[in-house]
Amino acid sequence: MRASRAGEGGEELQAERREKGRRKRARSDQEATGKERDKEEQPKIKSSKAVKTRKNVKNEKTKEMEEKQEEEEGEAEERNVKGKKKHGSAKKETREEDGGKRTVKEKAREEKKKKRKKVVETSSEQVTSEEDDNEEEDNEEKEVRPESLTPEELEMLKEAVDERKKLIQGLRGKPWSMKKKLVTLRESQEFVEKYEGALGKGKGRKLYAYKVMMTKKWMKFQRDFENFKTACIPWEMKIKEIESHFGSSVASYFIFLRWMYGINMILFCLTFGLVMVPEALMGRPYGTIPRKTVPRAEAASAMDFAVLWDFGGYAQYSVLFYGYYNNQRAIGWLKFRMPLSYFLVGVGTVAYSYMVVIRTMARNANESGVGDDNSFNFSWKMFTSWDYLIGNPETADNKFASITTSFKEAILEEQESRKDDNIHLTRFLRVLANFLVLCCLAGSGYLIYFVVRRSQKFALDGLENHTWWERNEVNMVMSLLGMFCPMLFDVISALENYHPRVALQWQLGRIFALFLGNLYTFIIALMDEINLKREEEKIIKFNITTWEASLYNSTVSENSTAPPITIQPADVPRGPCWETMVGQEFVRLIISDTMTTYITLLIGDFLRAVLVRFLNYCWCWDLEAGFPSYSEFDVSGNVLGLIFNQGMIWMGAFYAPCLPALNVLRLHVSMYLQCWAVMCCNVPQERVFKASGSNNFYMAMLLVILFLSTLPAIYTIVTIPPSFDCGPFSGKKRMFDVIQETLESDFPAWFSKVFSYASNPGLVLPFILLMVLAIYYLQSTSKSYKEANVELKKKLQTQNEENKKKNKLAALKAQTDLEEARKTASQSAELHKNNSASRQDQEDGEEDHGSCQRQYHNKNGRHPPPPVRDQDGQLPATRAPVPRTYHHVNHGSPGYLPGFPRQSEPKMHRVPSLQRH
Amino acid sequence: MVSPAIALAFIPLLLTVIIRSRFYFVLFYQAVLVRIWRDCVTGLSREERAYQYVLTHAIPGDPDSILDAFDVWCSKVEFISNIGPKKGQILDRLMMEQSPLTVLELGAHCGYSTVRIARSLPMGARLYSLEMDQRNAAIAEKIIRLAGFDDDTVELIVSPSDEVIPRLRSDYGLERLDFVFMDHWKKCYLPDLQMLEGSGLLGKGSMIMADNVLFPGAPKFLRYIRKCGLYEWKVHRATLEYSRGIRDGMAELVFQGIK
Repeated sequence: MRASRAGEGGEELQAERREKGRRKRARSDQEATGKERDKEEQPKIKSSKAVKTRKNVKNEKTKEMEEKQEEEEGEAEERNVKGKKKHGSAKKETREEDGGKRTVKEKAREEKKKKRKKVVETSSEQVTSEEDDNEEEDNEEKEVRPESLTPEELEMLKEAVDERKKLIQGLRGKPWSMKKKLVTLRESQEFVEKYEGALGKGKGRKLYAYKVMMTKKWMKFQRDFENFKTACIPWEMKIKEIESHFGSSVASYFIFLRWMYGINMILFCLTFGLVMVPEALMGRPYGTIPRKTVPRAEAASAMDFAVLWDFGGYAQYSVLFYGYYNNQRAIGWLKFRMPLSYFLVGVGTVAYSYMVVIRTMARNANESGVGDDNSFNFSWKMFTSWDYLIGNPETADNKFASITTSFKEAILEEQESRKDDNIHLTRFLRVLANFLVLCCLAGSGYLIYFVVRRSQKFALDGLENHTWWERNEVNMVMSLLGMFCPMLFDVISALENYHPRVALQWQLGRIFALFLGNLYTFIIALMDEINLKREEEKIIKFNITTWEASLYNSTVSENSTAPPITIQPADVPRGPCWETMVGQEFVRLIISDTMTTYITLLIGDFLRAVLVRFLNYCWCWDLEAGFPSYSEFDVSGNVLGLIFNQGMIWMGAFYAPCLPALNVLRLHVSMYLQCWAVMCCNVPQERVFKASGSNNFYMAMLLVILFLSTLPAIYTIVTIPPSFDCGPFSGKKRMFDVIQETLESDFPAWFSKVFSYASNPGLVLPFILLMVLAIYYLQSTSKSYKEANVELKKKLQTQNEENKKKNKLAALKAQTDLEEARKTASQSAELHKNNSASRQDQEDGEEDHGSCQRQYHNKNGRHPPPPVRDQDGQLPATRAPVPRTYHHVNHGSPGYLPGFPRQSEPKMHRVPSLQRH
Repeated sequence: MVSPAIALAFIPLLLTVIIRSRFYFVLFYQAVLVRIWRDCVTGLSREERAYQYVLTHAIPGDPDSILDAFDVWCSKVEFISNIGPKKGQILDRLMMEQSPLTVLELGAHCGYSTVRIARSLPMGARLYSLEMDQRNAAIAEKIIRLAGFDDDTVELIVSPSDEVIPRLRSDYGLERLDFVFMDHWKKCYLPDLQMLEGSGLLGKGSMIMADNVLFPGAPKFLRYIRKCGLYEWKVHRATLEYSRGIRDGMAELVFQGIK
């Protein structure tokens, strides 16, 4: 097909030359009869349409071609060619003065625009080209049908598209005005959008178009999918909304809460799936053995709400607590190793938590860059103090005010740092504040200690003799102290005059100390209780043996042949089971903690907000702006509450497998409740500050708490022998004996041998040594990396500065170039006029330069340009016969779509664009 | 019976509340307790006592010295809700920027703010000062004259604001108010502002300052200016006069007219 077409092209050329004269005449006629153009136009269009359809036909059936058709084809081509030829020289000049590529592109674009708008030009010349354009547009609209484009055209188009793409990529670096950049970008994108689909070679064209379409679809799908994914992140929108209202410090709390929720979900899955469900499904049912039955003494009140609320009664004797689990090695048809699973899950949850916390910390540490906050203080404030996530006018006002005050403060600080006469007072105040806080901590610690001792006394007396207040004294006091002491700390910290971010960290540290003190007081009290229980256990153990002996004796004495008397499991005396007690204590603590949090929220925030809002109408001062006001969201307190809550979960989860489930519930509820409360009854902080660095601070605290909470748990597991009659490890000396047991009975002998060798101190010690060495090595390498990073950063900075200078120079140069080009342009314009005039005289002597240009605009590169065909057909070697003019045209490539890459004129590259504007 | 330990746990809360609101306690003591006691002891009103102090401690004809004497008395001896030195500086600055020719002051009380405004008036400007209370007005008159401002500069009108404002145009021949300073009853802020709007005395660019919009506070006034859209407004945050810890603010309104 190609070959025939090429031959045809050659013929066409001849025909063209023959026809040229006629065509010219016809056109001049046309121009002469400008008035009657309208009449002529219709048939013209028809004819051109006919040409087009025939062209298509021809493409399909190349062999059978009529002479006339060819002629007509030639005619159509020729019109195009002539236009080009006419402006060949003129165009070249313009290009030279304009700088090639850019101009061509611009022109093409303009042309396209014109076409889109279908502007009817007044000149007759224009009309014909308009028709051509129509035709061409038809072609383009049928891009899906690639036959309508010749390969050369496609090549051209492809080049143009590539050009555009390059342009889009490099647009940012161009020294143009923003407006121009935007316009260029939009137009280029439109162009690429439009023509990209038509690209491709030969038969693959259709496929290519299809591929492009599919890529677009795929991209769209990906974008949608991203949106979908964002929508799938739980509470993302809520958190974003809060962030926009309250700034990132409040949002960081909620993000932390969500993260915590995720971790607890996994802990819950572990304990629920591997411990609770197997025991409930496959273990012995309730009431079969003593540990799974409510004792006779408690049976009457076991279903009372008060008892259940304290997690006694039926709740105590269920899968929720340690004591319910049986020490049977394998349960059910699956031969599920229950004690082993219990132990491994207990260890696994802690290990998993460690892993996650450390991993997150490492990831966060990567994000926080190495930068010194001390230098360029004002620049930092100037350029980075705005929180771009704020989307609420009130918060924005607050932020604005806070930035202003921070500037004032910074200036004052700067002044003071130069004076530094007040530093002693500040130091004194800070020391005083810390002293006061220590007093407060000591007081609260003593109070808790006192209460715990008192409660032990109550426990010895028997809890029934005391009121509800006295029984719940410990929890109440702990919650109240945990609630009120931070307030006091907050007030005291006003003395210190720190930056709010530093103040927040101090506050966090203090509350941390308070909570830790409370928690450890609680644990010490628990330890005491455990020891008490163990003593009780010893007595009961002895009693049981006597009881059994008596039972045995009585049965023996009555009837020796009778089967052993079946005793109701509820009647069997049993030990105190300290593990369940510990679990219960933790669960109660969690519950009371949760209740306190929610009640504080409802009273302290919601009720206050309601009062302030509605009493304000009839109050003598402004409640909203004045004294009670709305509350602010207490980030530090909430974060610490969350962290300590998690610590308690980690501590107690071994003895009460229900704890993760409870915690998931709590976190879920508090997510919704707090989101609502924040949006409904809190006001943005007066000093909104960014919390970008605080996340890792939370994580560090979490890690500390994790360590501190696993410490007592591990201590109890390792040192205290399990109760003799409850829990999965009953009957063993230590809880971890379950591992040994499994190794011995479930694994081959060699494995346990290997294990025993491996656990030999001679092997373990070197291993630990190796680990320490590795840690040391890694740490030192990371330090050196850090240093390298800092160096690189410095380098980057200097490089940036250099680049800036370079850019400035380039811009200056461009400006001078522009001026030069203007000069040359004004010079060449005259020259050009002369030239074009002479050429026109040669060609048809009628058109002036302007119309030339326009025609060129309209024509350029749309129609298959004959010279290329010629090239195609006769190969470069046979190019000689081509008339000089043609050659010229070809060389100048004026007819081609946006441009031949013309890198040889780099200096002139951006000139035309500037000229244009 | 609540156990004593639980009661003890409330101590931090108590301390917090006390420390947080210490300024209010001080204010209560200064403004109410001391006042009642002194009223009983001396038989004079608070304003009269202030006047006596100023008379004995200030230089006649020197507004600055009179203001200083007031400040000292109000911060050291008793409390009178004048505008105070800090907020006064804001007022001075705005007066300097605005240099208004016709100023209306609502609530002269005992003349502190009147003297303050009058001393920063440009040449040929006139200040109309309103005071409802007869006895306070007498003291204000004395203070103003003591500071050396004559009738041409400051005119004291002894009448409630809601009666005077509608008559300003007819009785006092005012065409336009360049500056209005409100420091009378906080409840009257809003009706008086609306009355001023109705009277047509406010032109584009007229400035209205309202003191104590946060404490004791004029929430309705603030709500109104937020909503009505006639003003370009902002609140200068400051603390209550002669007290460090109580937040207060002055509202600055610039009348824009109906757009």
